[in-house]
Amino acid sequence: MKGSNKVLTKKDITRLGFLSSFLQASFNYERMQAGGFTAAQLPFLKKIYKDDKKGLSEAMTDNLEFINTHPNFVGFLMGLLLSLEESHEDRGIIKGLKVALFGPLAGIGDAIFWFTILPIVAGISSSFAMQGNALGPILFFTVYLTIFLLRIVWTHLGYNLGTKAIDIIKTNSQMISKAASILGITVIGGLIASYVHINVLSTIAINADHAVSLQKDFFDKIFPNILPLGYTLLMFYLLKKKKVSPVVLIFMTFILAILLSFIGIL
Amino acid sequence: MHSVTLTQGLLLALLAIIVGVDFWLEALFLFRPIIVGTLSGLILGDLQTGLIAGGLTELAFAGLTPAGGTQPPNPILAGLMTTVIAFTTGTDPKTAIGLALPFSFLMQYIILFYYSSFSFFMAKADKYAEEADTKSLVKLNILTTSIVAITYGIVVFLCVFVAQDLMKALVAAMPAWLAHGFEIAGGILPAVGFGMLLKVMMKAQYVPYLMVGFFVASFIPFSNLLPVAVIGAALAIYEYFNSKDKLLKGESAIVKGDDYSEGI
Repeated sequence: MKGSNKVLTKKDITRLGFLSSFLQASFNYERMQAGGFTAAQLPFLKKIYKDDKKGLSEAMTDNLEFINTHPNFVGFLMGLLLSLEESHEDRGIIKGLKVALFGPLAGIGDAIFWFTILPIVAGISSSFAMQGNALGPILFFTVYLTIFLLRIVWTHLGYNLGTKAIDIIKTNSQMISKAASILGITVIGGLIASYVHINVLSTIAINADHAVSLQKDFFDKIFPNILPLGYTLLMFYLLKKKKVSPVVLIFMTFILAILLSFIGIL
Repeated sequence: MHSVTLTQGLLLALLAIIVGVDFWLEALFLFRPIIVGTLSGLILGDLQTGLIAGGLTELAFAGLTPAGGTQPPNPILAGLMTTVIAFTTGTDPKTAIGLALPFSFLMQYIILFYYSSFSFFMAKADKYAEEADTKSLVKLNILTTSIVAITYGIVVFLCVFVAQDLMKALVAAMPAWLAHGFEIAGGILPAVGFGMLLKVMMKAQYVPYLMVGFFVASFIPFSNLLPVAVIGAALAIYEYFNSKDKLLKGESAIVKGDDYSEGI
């Protein structure tokens, strides 16, 4: 049956890649991305179902169910699902696949885009920007424009692979997530050392002529960046084990900084 | 001390509308502070301040991401207001980050309010689906996005143009230790973001990689993080092929218990 009734062209799939960016257009807590997820596919569902109002209505209703996946990879999922819609697979199968895949895709997407690429690109491009070099934002934009355009590639991939995509995701998603986490964690280690600044002003007077600067003579020589590392790990501990909200920690950081500035330690 | 003119205020509002929609959809990442700060600087005629403020705020916000449908303190208002405050009051951008935070929280809570209230539109969406009314469903999505866009425009115009004198008076009244405190906090703030990143990613087995990244950056003098990223990539590729080998040999031990519910 498959292949005999193709109605979507390559151009359609490219357009789907662009339209997939409307995923979060009506984001809300009840259904998350369902509204945008459905709307982005509508031009193509209409093309598949033509005058079949009932079929179109059923497809729309299914797609309006809760979904929360990754904006960069959703084109892959849409392409895959539309290839099934096109060959008029059973509705239950289409729906089941959607539910099975959106979570893993969100997992890989978050691991790669938010937790790996963003810290790296932000760290490198900010180091330029902070010196007043416009290369920073230009580099940042170039990377993210490329990532955006890749959405079209993922969409074609999803459409062309069809059901074959499922095995690939299931076997690779954990390994890819793990590799991305390793890269991300390494970079975060570097970010902590480079971009968290705590500089102790206090000195310890040894005698009338000599004073030891805690920062220059002690921390910097024995264990550079130990305070940034310590504070970041404290944040991590409070977030993970004590479930403190990040907003509280931001306030805490400010109060602490102002207090220590007032006493003259920092 | 500078002032924001009406034209600049309107241009900043327009910028906020464009990057606001970009953040809502998470499309081109124009909403990140490094881009917002730079463009705000351009509008104000002070590119240098925009670049520095954008770069600083970007780092402070690197870990505060909307991954998994949570809403972080708003990166747009943070980047934009840090630049505007540094420009109008002449304070150090590091101090300005702290002063911009209340605006960032304000916008965060407005977006959270929309996340809740847009749930009411879903009943309408179901009705459109039942009637196979594709046009109305598209219109609904355009409506929600437009509401968000207009809100960004209004909030930013009020913050940068209407409230600027108040802001200047506030900054002028700040004693030196308070301004210095804000500056210190700006330097420590990235720790919260990095803590957030560790919260979602960190597992005991990854401790060695954190150590490698930290020590490499501490002891190898280099102006940016590229060497650390390359070492991280090498370790990641090594581990990927290692896992693949084990998987092919049928030893699924590494994969076991590594599901999405606990981190990633």
